[in-house]
Amino acid sequence: MLSRVADTIYWLGRYMERTQAMLQVIRIQYIASQDEPHYWGWLPLLYAFGDLSDEDIAKKAPHTPQVLYHLIFDRENGASVYHNIVRGRENARAVQDHITKEVWQSLNDYYHLIRRDDMAHLTLGEDPVSGLDALTQQSVLYVGTVQNTMPRDEGYLYLKLGKFLERALQTVDLLRINQHLFDQENVAHSPELRYLLYGLLGYELYVKTYQGQIDATSVLELVLYNSDFPHSLRYSLEQLLRYCERLKDKSRPESYEQLRFLIGKARTTVAYSTMHAQQPGALGQFLGQVRGELLDVTAALSNLYFGNG
Amino acid sequence: MPNNPLLSSYAEQPQVWDEMFQAGAVRPEYQAFVAALENLAGAEMTRKDELAKKLFMSQGITFTVYSSGEGIEKIFPFDVIPRIISNSEWLRIEAGIKQRLKALNIFLKDIYHQQFILKDGVVPAALVYSCPQFLREMMNVQVPHDVYTHIAGVDLIRDHDGEFYVLEDNLRTPSGVSYMLENRSITYRIFPDLLPKSNVLPVKGYPDLLYRNLQALADHQTSDPTVVLLSPGIYNSAYFEHSTLARLMGIQLVEGRDLIVHNHFVYMKTTKGLEKVDVIYRRVDDEFLDPLAFRPDSALGVPGLYWAYRKGNVAIANAMGNGVADDKAVYCYVPDMIRYYLGEEPILKNVPTYQLENAEHRELVFKDMDKMVIKRTNESGGYGMLIGSAATEAEMADFRQAILGDPRSFIAQPIISLSSTPCYIDGKLQPRRIDLRPFALCGPSGIDIVPGGLTRVALREGSLIVNSSQGGGSKDTWVLGN
Repeated sequence: MLSRVADTIYWLGRYMERTQAMLQVIRIQYIASQDEPHYWGWLPLLYAFGDLSDEDIAKKAPHTPQVLYHLIFDRENGASVYHNIVRGRENARAVQDHITKEVWQSLNDYYHLIRRDDMAHLTLGEDPVSGLDALTQQSVLYVGTVQNTMPRDEGYLYLKLGKFLERALQTVDLLRINQHLFDQENVAHSPELRYLLYGLLGYELYVKTYQGQIDATSVLELVLYNSDFPHSLRYSLEQLLRYCERLKDKSRPESYEQLRFLIGKARTTVAYSTMHAQQPGALGQFLGQVRGELLDVTAALSNLYFGNG
Repeated sequence: MPNNPLLSSYAEQPQVWDEMFQAGAVRPEYQAFVAALENLAGAEMTRKDELAKKLFMSQGITFTVYSSGEGIEKIFPFDVIPRIISNSEWLRIEAGIKQRLKALNIFLKDIYHQQFILKDGVVPAALVYSCPQFLREMMNVQVPHDVYTHIAGVDLIRDHDGEFYVLEDNLRTPSGVSYMLENRSITYRIFPDLLPKSNVLPVKGYPDLLYRNLQALADHQTSDPTVVLLSPGIYNSAYFEHSTLARLMGIQLVEGRDLIVHNHFVYMKTTKGLEKVDVIYRRVDDEFLDPLAFRPDSALGVPGLYWAYRKGNVAIANAMGNGVADDKAVYCYVPDMIRYYLGEEPILKNVPTYQLENAEHRELVFKDMDKMVIKRTNESGGYGMLIGSAATEAEMADFRQAILGDPRSFIAQPIISLSSTPCYIDGKLQPRRIDLRPFALCGPSGIDIVPGGLTRVALREGSLIVNSSQGGGSKDTWVLGN
């Protein structure tokens, strides 16, 4: 496969995963902002997904519609949901002969959906949850279309590598934003922990697994180590390893060995750690290490497979 | 005239050849189609028209217009009424194009080698050497099998007497073939059963023929040659065509940045390392192909490609330097080339053309400017031209001045009326002007032309410009079998 094509498909996977993660987090934050008397504000998300100066962030943060506009529809914001979808679709266009017509059409529909005026009107004016739901639905449709129509060839492997790398990074970043919840006594923070679980689509699994009050150590255990939870770090890393191993006969041996080593290293770092709450500073250091190792994987893919070295 | 109001309300234009009707009667090649049309109610036609639009949009058969960094996809307007050509007419067109291409191919070989045609004074040497598309870099380059014009899209028009004329020989990177294929795939959806009943010859063999010819260009030492299609990338308006052709032939669609030249061999960068490329079907213009040999600022090409080509390590279709044969001023000499190289009389006529370098011609043209089309020799796509009958005095004065400044760059032709055909517009059949671009493939085993081509329509009322960039659309083209 052409290096450029592999690179483009890999980034298609990343953009679409990022879109889905952002929409879910924004949706949950919005609900929290309506439902929580002591809502903690939009600042962390504006820092994570916006590209504003500190001054602008302070100005925008108290106004929910402005925040939603900036994070979702703002064409000036290079990290907005809109931009992710546009870039995902541009990537798909550039590799149209390597993805199925159905996948292309679902991305094309997504692009037309987010450009519709009534979509912005619904999300910013009428009912943000309905608007976000409609967008999320299109994301889910894309995922299903990939699953149902794409041949399991080399392109599919890069699509999946992009997806799970992005998911692992998103999970790490969300934990980093919420680090303070795990550093101290947890009782006062339980609403935030609950929304963190919602944001990762893990609340139901948590309730089923731990049946009781939400405590920080259990949340951390679920999000870091539970291999049945599709948004846990461990799950993402195992999937990465799985798709990497399928690349073996499609790679130069030395490239494969290097990539396999780096993914294995990140997985081992997570699998053989024993993080729990109330270890001030330890979680931050751990997440920093994992993030660094994930970035090594992205750099290795870029250099060894995509010819960007 | 038939009874259906759709057909009976159609008004033929005087002094224009109508493809469907002749003095109120339906021409024989259209009879089966018109019979089917007569049974349709007006609303049904509108539904078919809408269905066609929907199919084009949902299948992404679009071209892209870029503005403010965002791609806006537009569908290439399609008219549901096909253009039909009888078998005998087609055989004549086919023979005429084959004859022409044979001569043009020999001309290119000759001009880049011994130049007999210049030495014998058939074509003036000054005309060839002053052509910006004449590449000195191609002198004495051995191209595989002596084929230069692998893919040609010859534009034909029909005058009021029904005679076909060649308007242009596009020998560089002619586009539009994907629309020929897509138009057919839409037509059988909107007119079920009509194609087999009318005995329409298929066009679907084009990608296979093209691939066979491309593969044949590779060095015979290579058992399984790698053929790629080189595209300028997604921002090119014909990107849809590039990706369609690559998909239909099952070959890699590459951009300049995917290729690298090492030791005068061309390789593509893959996830498994470098892979040798044997044949390139390029859709990048000559001047952008190699920044080391041509335009140094080109980011679309591959540094070193020219030398790899010159050494015979890679085959490129179409050959570089073909522009000298489809220059609008050299065009006047194509009939002479046919007589000179083949000893035959041209089957298809040229549109009479005045070279404005010639003072007598220039005077004649200036006198009758309102009856002339004046074109720049190095422009295409309907740009850089003046249609005398529709031009203002000021525009004419501007052109006069430009011509006097650089007469080599202009030619003039009498306005040919262009035949018209019914189009379904706003719920009615209305006459619109058309041309025809059949696609010819020259390979080591000869010249193949798929029966049909792209019929382009000037959708604006009264317009003679069929180019898609200037309000043109297209129709499916049916060639009937025996």
